[in-house]
Amino acid sequence: MDPQTQNTSLQRLQNVERRVVRVLDIAGGVMDELASPSGPKKEFVNSHCREFMQSMKDIQVTLREEIKSACEYRPFEKCDYNARIANEICLQKLEYVLTQLDDLKQTADRYPSSS
Amino acid sequence: MDSDMEISLDRLPIKRLESIEENGAERFPSDVNYDDKRVSLIRRIDFAWALEEEDELKKKKQKKSSKESSEQWQWKGMVENLQLAHQELSVIIDLINTVEANDAVTVAGMTKPKPMPNELLSDLAVSTATKLQSYRHLGKYFKQSAKALEQKVNREARFYGALIRLQRNWKVKRQRVLASNASNEGFTIDLSDSSLYDPTSGFRPSTLSTIRVEHDSAGMLAINLPQDSWYSLRFGFVGLNSIDNPNESAEHIDSTTGQDTTSEKLSVSDEESVKETHSLLREVHKSIFAEQLFDMLNREAFSEGVGFSISGIRENFLEMSIGQGASLFVSLYPSGKNASIKKSESAIVPMESSGGIELVEGDSRVKKLGFPSRASYDIYLQQIFHEHVFGKAKDQTKSKSSQASNQTAKDNNSGLLDHFCLSLAHRIFSTRVVVQLESVVCKVPYLHLISHPTWNSRTSSWTVCMTVPPSIIPQGSSETQSLDGKRNLKTQFRTKVVVKDDCISVEAECTPNVVGLLKSSSCNLFSMNKYECDLADLPVIILQQVTSQIVCWLLEEARTVGTKASRDFLSLSLEIVEGERVSLVAQVNPEDAKGCISWWLVMENGCTEERKGVSESRKLLGHLSLDVLYSVLMDLINLCGSGRNPLDRL
Repeated sequence: MDPQTQNTSLQRLQNVERRVVRVLDIAGGVMDELASPSGPKKEFVNSHCREFMQSMKDIQVTLREEIKSACEYRPFEKCDYNARIANEICLQKLEYVLTQLDDLKQTADRYPSSS
Repeated sequence: MDSDMEISLDRLPIKRLESIEENGAERFPSDVNYDDKRVSLIRRIDFAWALEEEDELKKKKQKKSSKESSEQWQWKGMVENLQLAHQELSVIIDLINTVEANDAVTVAGMTKPKPMPNELLSDLAVSTATKLQSYRHLGKYFKQSAKALEQKVNREARFYGALIRLQRNWKVKRQRVLASNASNEGFTIDLSDSSLYDPTSGFRPSTLSTIRVEHDSAGMLAINLPQDSWYSLRFGFVGLNSIDNPNESAEHIDSTTGQDTTSEKLSVSDEESVKETHSLLREVHKSIFAEQLFDMLNREAFSEGVGFSISGIRENFLEMSIGQGASLFVSLYPSGKNASIKKSESAIVPMESSGGIELVEGDSRVKKLGFPSRASYDIYLQQIFHEHVFGKAKDQTKSKSSQASNQTAKDNNSGLLDHFCLSLAHRIFSTRVVVQLESVVCKVPYLHLISHPTWNSRTSSWTVCMTVPPSIIPQGSSETQSLDGKRNLKTQFRTKVVVKDDCISVEAECTPNVVGLLKSSSCNLFSMNKYECDLADLPVIILQQVTSQIVCWLLEEARTVGTKASRDFLSLSLEIVEGERVSLVAQVNPEDAKGCISWWLVMENGCTEERKGVSESRKLLGHLSLDVLYSVLMDLINLCGSGRNPLDRL
């Protein structure tokens, strides 16, 4: 996995989840291979097991990093709900001004422009 | 059996001493339970005699058979052997049954017969097949769980992705839910703002302020709110119907906030559903603000205020009269799909307070009554409330000591409603003032009306502007100059009208003040005067003011030429010859449709000796523009020099 594509910890954690799924898949594949009637192919099993172990290691490393770098949860210090209400009021003002301007335009259009 | 039957008797359940120790303690044999008793009985079965007997019997049989073979039936020995074997087998079978049934007795050891090679191979084959089978099971299990985990991860990614996007704008809180209710992880969205809540003012967070986040049928984030549970503020004038613009936006929201479980939800992408949720949260947040606003209005309604008096209170409805013949109502009405929308095209229906909309009859009625736009005052009310609350919160954060609580106790009645009602009343009044001013200015062609922004909601101001034609008299030939050495050349006269609450004040120069005429000199002519008037008198006052300014201007022009002229209220008199005066008199009539100021030329012959009084002859000149008026004046001035009868000339 290209490390540069995962620039947020969220993406990294999502990647970890995908890896876990893949690991389970690999395990299933190995089991199936072992259960094959003609006997397991050694290289297949080996390669899969190697991939399995590598993925587990990567998952561990990533999780450890994320846990170390996760910041403490702080309750909300600043709340922007006031500004939000002010925004809503401004939006209403804008809408009102727009209707006024539309009315003005309609009035102006009624009179032919004189040079 | 040859031997006699043996009978064993159980001992009586009297405990017999087993031993006595030196110190006198008695030892009883331990209780033997029933199973143990049977075991001991079985053990007492002595099979040795059976084996011995068997051997003996065999020997005897051999002897007997060799002896008595001729005497007896030749199968008798075999029968007896078989019978003996049968009896032995039955004993052994009983023993085995007893061992099987009895847990206390176990087989101590068994010797296995040596397995044959094909048995070994078949055992190996079976175990290998079982192992392979279990591997296959395991493989299938892993793959299934991989698929299930992937689905779960995707579902949760949608949910948490949406939650994170909402978290950018709203406060998301979590409570660990102890119950194993997997459908709700305890997320809530908190819409209350704790910094605004001041325990002394009694603000309570509304019930809407905590919203649970739930999953919908597809596992996506969903918020389920009953449709009528949030409100918006409604504001209007009693007896006046108006198209409510906010309801248009409410309809727009209605079309987007349907959290129905119909199948159309599947076609909505994640983006859109997050946007819908966000819009819904915005509506609820606005509704909380509206509730707070209404709460504050209710509280202030009970304090005394100059600008309003409450005329009706119902649930979520407040009606008050604010003067100027207007009655205002403020109500909270539920918005959402279930709000009933009625449209009637009939005549004016009295306004109901629970969410009905009626079509407007015409804007003309609004204009006639002078009521300002509903939307603008709705916004204004929200704005002042918000600033007040926000300002209070800011003050509180600055001074966190007990001083804050004292201050808020005093400021509990902030007079917002009072101020608002006064502003509204002022607006209605000033609209009427404008109507009057416009009616005057429209009719007189040389007047202009300019309105000035005052940035105060209870003050308005206008200027009536008049531009006079420039003087044709060159500067050098003037003989009389004003005292300050400058020539009073006026090209523009302004009359300022200021309305504060409901007081009109007019400020201008050249006021037609009778008192001021007694000592009229040039410097006093152009002094500014300020006086008040009523709405009904306003047109006349303005016209008189303007006319007086015209007269002053003409006077000044005449004086610069040297003509003896004087001014009397709205007339300008010129002395032609001794005793004869000609006057230009203005007549002011605001109802006159062609122009409000008309001019008369009056000829006074004052040197008659009859005691009938001064004889006058008048001629109506009509509505004159300023240029024409100026030329009339110039003609009169010329005539003053020549002495002829001006009336003949005209």
